[in-house]
Amino acid sequence: MQSSNNPESSEDSLDRRQLLQALGAGGAIAIAGCSGGDGGDGGSGDGSSGDGGSGTDGGDGGDGGSQSIQFLTMGVGDNIQQFFEENNAAFEEEYDVDVEFTSVTWDNARQTVNNRVDGGQAPDVSRWPARWIPQLVGKDALEPLDDMMDGEFGQKFSEGVAAGTMYNGSHYGVPWAASNKCLYYNKDVFETAGLDPENPSLDTWDDMLAAAQQIRDSDASVPALGLAGADAIETGSQYYHYHWSHGADLVNDEGLPVVNTDGAVDALSFYTDLHLEHGVTQSSPLSSTRQDIRQLFENGDLGMVIGHVYTGLNIDSAKESGDVDFDYGIVQVPEGPEGRYSLFTIDAITILSQSEHKDLARDLIRFYFDEERRFQYSQQKGFLPVVEAVGERPYFSDSKNWAPFVEASEYARARPKLSNFSQFNDRMVQAIQEALADQKTPQKALNDAQSDLEDAME
Amino acid sequence: MSLAEEYTDTTDASRLERGLAYFQRNSRAYLLIAPTALFLLAVVGYPILETFRLSLYQSPADSNIETFVGLQHYAEIVTSDIFYQLLWQTGRWVVVGVAGKTVMGLLIAVHLKGDIRGRKFFRTAFLIPWGIPYAISAVVFRWIEHPQFGFLNAILLKLGLIEQGIGILGNPDIAWLGVVVADIWIGTPFMAIIFLAGLQSIPQELYEAAAIDGAERWHQFCYITLPQLKSVILIATLLSTIWTFVSFDTIWTMTGGGPLSTTATLVIHIYQVGLQNGNLGRGAAYSVVGFLFLFVFAIIYLRVYTRGGDEL
Repeated sequence: MQSSNNPESSEDSLDRRQLLQALGAGGAIAIAGCSGGDGGDGGSGDGSSGDGGSGTDGGDGGDGGSQSIQFLTMGVGDNIQQFFEENNAAFEEEYDVDVEFTSVTWDNARQTVNNRVDGGQAPDVSRWPARWIPQLVGKDALEPLDDMMDGEFGQKFSEGVAAGTMYNGSHYGVPWAASNKCLYYNKDVFETAGLDPENPSLDTWDDMLAAAQQIRDSDASVPALGLAGADAIETGSQYYHYHWSHGADLVNDEGLPVVNTDGAVDALSFYTDLHLEHGVTQSSPLSSTRQDIRQLFENGDLGMVIGHVYTGLNIDSAKESGDVDFDYGIVQVPEGPEGRYSLFTIDAITILSQSEHKDLARDLIRFYFDEERRFQYSQQKGFLPVVEAVGERPYFSDSKNWAPFVEASEYARARPKLSNFSQFNDRMVQAIQEALADQKTPQKALNDAQSDLEDAME
Repeated sequence: MSLAEEYTDTTDASRLERGLAYFQRNSRAYLLIAPTALFLLAVVGYPILETFRLSLYQSPADSNIETFVGLQHYAEIVTSDIFYQLLWQTGRWVVVGVAGKTVMGLLIAVHLKGDIRGRKFFRTAFLIPWGIPYAISAVVFRWIEHPQFGFLNAILLKLGLIEQGIGILGNPDIAWLGVVVADIWIGTPFMAIIFLAGLQSIPQELYEAAAIDGAERWHQFCYITLPQLKSVILIATLLSTIWTFVSFDTIWTMTGGGPLSTTATLVIHIYQVGLQNGNLGRGAAYSVVGFLFLFVFAIIYLRVYTRGGDEL
């Protein structure tokens, strides 16, 4: 009988003692979990640090290194980890210091930087998107680097690239990496749809729409165009190409929002019509992040997508391993009525004001901007070279994958540097979603966004 | 001094004396719990007070300067449309999620209590969802529901029920359901194991006596199992309500609060306002509001529960 296994079955409810015991057990588990987590974090941090140079070379640093420098970066993936391991070790040996190298994921990046700055534990050197500069300058968290950028070192960069790390007339970082975008198309899909894969005629948005409609009406069993509409920061990044090329802007010269101009309405109308009226996109753009549509294209399941250089590199790699088998082409992002733009993003490497090793931090930056190192980095990471001399190397200018992106630098345009850009972008993404979901007309969605942004930026 | 005053004084004095005497008698116990009490004050009390303090300040992302604004954040919150949308969405998320977990947990517990083949295996297996980190489970469900790559859509397409993938998490009308399903899957094992423990404490004789009296299984469930499980169900649902209310990982991983903020709850909004957009003061004010909601809910819930004479 069940009751015979239950000596306490006469108690028909939880009493206070039982509850406390249960909570106590839960608390013990939680504490164990927290301890484990801390250990894990610490281990992870150490692991990064170890990866970064405290492995075999850590002993050397420990023996001779009289000081250490904290180097924080983001998104160090498998393709670039070894680069940092080797170079941090080389720096440690050359300068007789310890490099405390930490990598965090992009999801946690902003919070990590803010927490460390606010907590007085800022790293000496840190790398992150240049669009965060205004916020950190506002906190007096960044060391101006005009002494470096106005001198011989600064001549490594083109004027446009160098300007990417300027704010209020000063350089608050050194351009670390850059990325821009082009339009990819699937040659096999184009051929199936009766389009010329070698001369795809994708110069304007209307050309792109016409090609997409032909794909939609053909036997090609894949969506013609990838459209990002998910609740993600990158939805804005994909859309702004349309916005700018229709003569619209995000903020005016005074930094005030101007998101609902006629051009902007035309741009958003075109963007949403691709899905709602023409039906040339993948199903449910509101579910799709930029990564989703890129992945679709890389799998060969999409006709066209706006993407980074690494989309092509990924496909080549997948083709080599036999995972996919299709040809692709790359053209410039289509032109709108008021021009052609390629969203340009710069990551900066900065020195934090709290650093007590600013000279050493400058040495670390100079070390990493050795031309060969920059070539190695761009090659492995799949980012555009920021150093002019590296970009001029045949490896980039003659490459089927790289050449269009080098050319796209001509059309580069960065997002505005606003201290609250994240909030600004979120509101724009909401407007895009409202229009894509057919909840509001593009005009209404942008009018509402303009109104909210004006309030937020008062 | 009137008689009444004298009486009052006397009463106060005696109360004070009684209190002092009580404290002296238990001074050692108070001394022993003092370190723990101080620790709790530091790790629980201080953050709550600091959050409340922060909620009274304007704390922009791009400055270390905090400006005192009093209750301005609270006034703006309660007069904003988004607040009521968040309340509705949070309530919907909690009620449906907790109800789903409770019903599913009860069903599983009842079945696992029975003498079924492979009971040990099932008892272990059904704990797996709870053992997996929430974020990982959420990623799995996001993929299951993905319009292009998703398992769910693949099945529906194979069966010919749909012509193209449905973006559940991208549809403002049903996205929250897509997330709630994942939350129920994740949270059900906890409820089931609590209920199972409760079921095993019910004297078997009650069922035997009911069976002799001719009670059907359903009647046994309604008139024996549920009343006997009352205290367990109330505690489990209270805990589940609190956890579901403050749940972040599942929603954030699956939808980030979208599309169009239709899956955002108060907690998601707090993160977006306070940490993503760097408006710490407003985020803190939202946190205090959320804390008050939970606090009041817990008090009312426990009051209602203990009114009948039961105690925890």
